[in-house]
Amino acid sequence: MTSKELVRAALNHKEPARLPLDFGGTSVTGIHVTCVAALRDYYGLEKRPVKVHEPYQMLGWLDEDLKAAMGIDVDGVFSQGTMFGFPLGDWRMWRTEQGLEVLVPGGFLTTKDADGNILIYPEGDTSAPPSGRMPKGGYFFDSIIRQDPIDEEKLNPEDNLEEFGLVTDATLAHFAAEVRRVSGSGRGVIASFGGTAFGDIALVPGPGLKHPKGIRDVAEWYMATVSRKDYVHQVFSKQCEIAIRNLEKIQAAVGDSVDAAFVCGTDFGTQTSTFCSAKAFRDLYLPYYKKVNDWVHAHTDWKTFKHSCGAVERFIPLFIEAGFDILNPVQCSAAGMDPNHLKQEYGDRITFWGGGIDTQRVLPFGTPDQVREQVLERCRTFSPGGGFVFNAIHNVQARTPVENIVAMINAVNEFNG
Amino acid sequence: MADTSKLYDAILNGDSKTAVGVTKEALAENIDPMELVNKGMIPAMDEVGRRFECEEYFVPELLLAARAMKGSLELIRPLLAERGTEPAGRVVIGTVKGDLHDIGKNLVASMLEGGGFEVVDLGTDVSPEKFVEMAKEKNANIVCLSALLTVTMPSMKTTIDALQQAGMRQKVKVLVGGAPVTQQYANEIGADGYSENANSAVQLARRLVA
Repeated sequence: MTSKELVRAALNHKEPARLPLDFGGTSVTGIHVTCVAALRDYYGLEKRPVKVHEPYQMLGWLDEDLKAAMGIDVDGVFSQGTMFGFPLGDWRMWRTEQGLEVLVPGGFLTTKDADGNILIYPEGDTSAPPSGRMPKGGYFFDSIIRQDPIDEEKLNPEDNLEEFGLVTDATLAHFAAEVRRVSGSGRGVIASFGGTAFGDIALVPGPGLKHPKGIRDVAEWYMATVSRKDYVHQVFSKQCEIAIRNLEKIQAAVGDSVDAAFVCGTDFGTQTSTFCSAKAFRDLYLPYYKKVNDWVHAHTDWKTFKHSCGAVERFIPLFIEAGFDILNPVQCSAAGMDPNHLKQEYGDRITFWGGGIDTQRVLPFGTPDQVREQVLERCRTFSPGGGFVFNAIHNVQARTPVENIVAMINAVNEFNG
Repeated sequence: MADTSKLYDAILNGDSKTAVGVTKEALAENIDPMELVNKGMIPAMDEVGRRFECEEYFVPELLLAARAMKGSLELIRPLLAERGTEPAGRVVIGTVKGDLHDIGKNLVASMLEGGGFEVVDLGTDVSPEKFVEMAKEKNANIVCLSALLTVTMPSMKTTIDALQQAGMRQKVKVLVGGAPVTQQYANEIGADGYSENANSAVQLARRLVA
C-alpha cells in the first residue's frame, strides 16, 4: 500500500497494512522549528537552516529528506498567508532566541521592546502596531490584544469579518499548484484552506490585521458568545456564506487529490471541561459546521478534520452530528478522554488523528522508554479497524528531547513491524 | 430601597450594568459596604463557583459574573480601605516568566477577589524576582503561579526557589495551576497546593489561610 492508500484506508475505517503517520501536515500536527533542526541532525541529514512555515507557533518545515527518514505518510497543503498576514516566501535568515539560525518569510519583521521581548507586525508592516509578542528567551508568539473600546450601539458584524474575504485568483492558483506539487509524492494530502473555523480563539485577535475592528479581545469574545449571541450568529452566518462560496472555487481548482480538509481549529475543551455547554454548542456552532461539512461531503471526497484540545468527550457525538469525520488532537490527558473509552464508543464513527503520545508530560519530560511504552499502548488501542492516523497530541513543543521524538517514531515503526 | 439580593442576582446573571447601579444605589443609601460584600458579592461568587463546578456555568458565564463583581467592587473597595477592613487574605498572582497566557489566571484572580481576598495581579511573563518583591511589599499570605506551556512550567520551580532564597517561603503559601500542571508536579516542586479550576482555587486558598 502507498502512503496515500494507508491514509485513505484509515480514514475509511479499514485497517491499513500499517499505521499512517503525520507530522507537519497541519499547523496543529507539526514540530517546533528547534526540534525539526535537532531531528535533521539526529538523522544525519544535510546541514541547512529549517524554514519556519508557521511563525505564530514557530513550526518547522519538514523537507523531503526528513519526511523520508521519519516515514511520514501525509503532506500538507497550506495557504499562502501566515497568521501574521504576510506570505510564505522571500526566505531569509533569522536567529532564534536560543541562537539557532532558521529561515523566515520576508515579512517576518521584528523589533525588541525595552524588556527584550520580540515584537512581530501584521503583514510585515513595522509602521502598524505590533500584533504578536514572543517573551525574551521564549519559543512561541502570542497575539497582542488590540481592542478599541466597544460601543454596543456601533458594533458591526462586518468588523469581525475583515479576515474572511473571498478567495482571489492568486490564492486559487496557489492551492492548485500546491496540490499538484504534493500529488506526486504518493502520500495522503490534508489541506488547510482556511476560513471555515467559527470562533477560533487564536484568530479572534486578528493577528494578521493592521487595525482589527469589532470584538478582538479574547475574554470579550468568550463573553459575547453568551451576552451578544445575535452578533456572533451574524458573524458566523456571513462567514459561512463566504466559506461555502470559497470552497466551491477551491474544489474546482484543486479537484479530489485532497484526502482531508482541515475545517476547524476552534478549541472547545479546557483541561477538565468544555468551554461551553452542549446546548450552546448545538445552538451557536453546530449549524454552521454542519453547513460546511455537508457541502464538502456533497461535492468532494474530502474527509473533514476537527481540531479541539481538551476534555471534549461529551462533544464528540455533536462533532459527528455536525459532519466531522476526523478528531484531533485527541487529548487523552484531559478529563474523560480515556483512549479505550473513546475508541470503543466513537471509533467506528470518527477517525482519531492524534492521541499517540502525551505532549504535556510524557514526550517532553519522560524517558525514551516511557515514550515507547505509551506509543505502543496507544497504537494497540486506536489502531484496530482503522480510524487512526498516528500523531502526537498537538504540536511537538520546543525543548522536547530529540531522543524522545525518535523513540516515538521508532515505537510506531516497532508497532508496524 | 436597595437590597443585597439585587447585587447577588446581578453578579450571578453577569449583568455588570445592574451590579454597578445597585451598588451605587446602596452606597447612596448608606448601606454598610461590608454587608454588600458579605451578603451580596461573596455568596454570589460562591454560587457562580458552584454552578461552574457542576457545569451549569462555563468560562463565558464566569467571565461575565467576574466583570459584574469587579464593577461593584471598584466602588466598594475605597470604602473598605478607609475603614481598614482586613481581607480574607492577601494574594499575589501572575503567569510565570516566559508565558503570556492569562485567561485561567484572570479567572482565578477574579474568583479570589470575589471570595473576599485582596488580589495583586502582576500580569503575565512575571519574573521570580518580581514575585518575591511584590509578595514582600504587599505582605502576601499566598502566591499563585500560573503556566500554560510545558516550556514555562519550570519557571514555577524557579519562583519557589527564589522565594526560599529571599527567606519568604515560610511566610507565604504557594498555589500553582494551569493546563499542564498536576498535583504530582506541584508536589515535585514543593508547592503548597494545586487547583484544577478557579473555584477550587478559592476553596484551597481559604483552607490555607484559615
